[in-house]
Amino acid sequence: MERNFNSSDVLDHLTRERLAELESAPRRGLRLFCDYLVCFMPVVFGALALAEYLLVPNLKGNTTTSTYTYFIIALTLTAAAAFVLALVRQKFFYVLRHKAPFYAFVFALLAGYDYMTLKTGTLVLPYFPWADQILNAMWQDRAYLLDCTLNSLKLLFTGYFSGAFLGLLTGTACGCSKTIDYWVSPFTKLIGAIPSPTWIPIVMVIASSLFAGSVFIIALGVWYALTIATITGIRNIDHSFYDAAKTLGAKPHQLVLHVALPFAVPNILQGLTQGMSSACLVLITAEMVGVESGLGWYVSWQKSWAQYGKMYAAIVVLCVVFVAVNWGLNKIRRRLLRWQEGVTQ
Amino acid sequence: MMPANILELNHVHKSFARTETENVTQALSDINFTVRDGEFLSIVGPSGCGKSTIMRLIAGLIFPTAGTIKLNGEVIQGTNPERGMVFQKPTLFPWLTVEQNLTFSARMMNTAKRSEYKSEVERLLEMAGLAEFRHDFPHQLSGGMAQRLALIRTMINQPKVFLLDEPLGALDAFTRMNMQDELLRLWQRSGHIVLMVTHDIDEALYLGTRVLVMAPRPGRIRADLVNDMSYPRSRTSDEFLHWRKRVLEMLDFGHNFN
Ligand SMILES: Nc1ncnc2c1ncn2[C@@H]1O[C@H](COP(=O)(O)OP(=O)(O)O)[C@@H](O)[C@H]1O
Ligand SMILES: [Mg+2]
Repeated sequence: MERNFNSSDVLDHLTRERLAELESAPRRGLRLFCDYLVCFMPVVFGALALAEYLLVPNLKGNTTTSTYTYFIIALTLTAAAAFVLALVRQKFFYVLRHKAPFYAFVFALLAGYDYMTLKTGTLVLPYFPWADQILNAMWQDRAYLLDCTLNSLKLLFTGYFSGAFLGLLTGTACGCSKTIDYWVSPFTKLIGAIPSPTWIPIVMVIASSLFAGSVFIIALGVWYALTIATITGIRNIDHSFYDAAKTLGAKPHQLVLHVALPFAVPNILQGLTQGMSSACLVLITAEMVGVESGLGWYVSWQKSWAQYGKMYAAIVVLCVVFVAVNWGLNKIRRRLLRWQEGVTQ
Repeated sequence: MMPANILELNHVHKSFARTETENVTQALSDINFTVRDGEFLSIVGPSGCGKSTIMRLIAGLIFPTAGTIKLNGEVIQGTNPERGMVFQKPTLFPWLTVEQNLTFSARMMNTAKRSEYKSEVERLLEMAGLAEFRHDFPHQLSGGMAQRLALIRTMINQPKVFLLDEPLGALDAFTRMNMQDELLRLWQRSGHIVLMVTHDIDEALYLGTRVLVMAPRPGRIRADLVNDMSYPRSRTSDEFLHWRKRVLEMLDFGHNFN
């Protein structure tokens, strides 16, 4: 297919979306219709999930409320709103076209799970409560769950940020000074070889407060991840960057701040992500074995009372919190690594 | 009037320790020369004869094993933006935009706030044809653009000594010849000292007011020739070809030409 442009003006003022549009095969007719159909799929599957819940008879003895009905309706309406937005916003259309199949699949999963638990009992109570029960449990205990979430987040971030900060300092010092590295790296290696949860029982006994103890263990894992990542980043630097900076008048501390650290940023961000997964692991473990608050504690507590609905409710909240935290981290990472676009990919 | 700048190398020796053996490599042996304002010194020689080592010594990145290097009578103590250096690779900082790379030096020395600085940045960006790329990152630039940026990034400090270590080595022939003319203009306007290493004899002869021919193992000066051809020079004139032959023979090539 040939494209003619009489006016070069069109090509002089291209936007990113317009460029993608011009360079991809033109979509029209049936192709375009199919694309819109795909964007609409989540709405269809949402309606199907709703129909499954309302129309298929429950297994005898299973009771339901309308909470799940509202939940599915809310999700379906969101999908519908997204579809409308895609109709008016070109940019959003591409995003939705990409994501829609998966959203439809999520509705199918919800319907499938509902069918296997509530409708047929293939997956049995009390281990597999249906979504309606979980939602109700979540709603009933919302104040307490929120409290637990906040406690978890407080513990997580206190440990995470203190560990990250100290790791960045240690890593920078070791990366830039051979002497410091000589004295510190054996300890780093030793501590790094031991999985952080190992420390939990020891610290729980020694520490003056459980909170401080848990902060310490979380920070330890993050500290290790950041130290190693920063050292690696700084070691990898091409010495010609230092040479160039020196001839441009940079003093030793500026070499660290303006050359070594920026160069190590990709590694540091990787360390931050790795540190976050270690921190989450330690957080939940610590809460399950000792700390008497937080989501991890809530989960094991409800489990010991065989309150599986509440247990699942807390697990869902946990998932949402961790996904949100990692999403935020990824956003920051993308933003900081703009200069790498096209270099590494 | 500013006093003229003068750069002197007196009996400079440089040896490097070798990692695997007890031996040391003698990279430079008894280097002597003096360069003054308004001179463009081309340095040619086979690879490994210590050309880069001379540049790095003058830049203050490394220090001589024996002998002294003085700029205006003062022994060189380390790096200083008054001796600017451009490397074979552009060594642009990949995390900084074009403009941030250009102003790096000023930020290091806290001179970026001066009012005349801003207009200087604009002037240089315009001159290098980089004004509309100021917010781009180095990986988005072509080889020639990157090297031009490296050049103006050093030039913005108005160095008394401009050290160029094969700055055009990685460029294609066309970009190279254009940049050679740009270099000539820059040097003629500033009137300062330029030392340029090159492995291209044509380039050395086209640009330099003097040509330093070096020999390897240990690195030493074989000849220090004054190139008095008038600018602009023609790469195809008889005089140029004669010069070319002379230098080639000095480098032990070109015997078969006779
Ligand atoms: N940092 C260094 N450590 C050890 N040997 C070096 C170092 N720099 C240069 N050399 C040695 O010094 C000699 C001259 O190197 P160089 O100045 O880079 O040559 P040229 O630039 O002329 O190719 C070479 O034999 C090289 O191996
Ligand atoms: Mg060299």
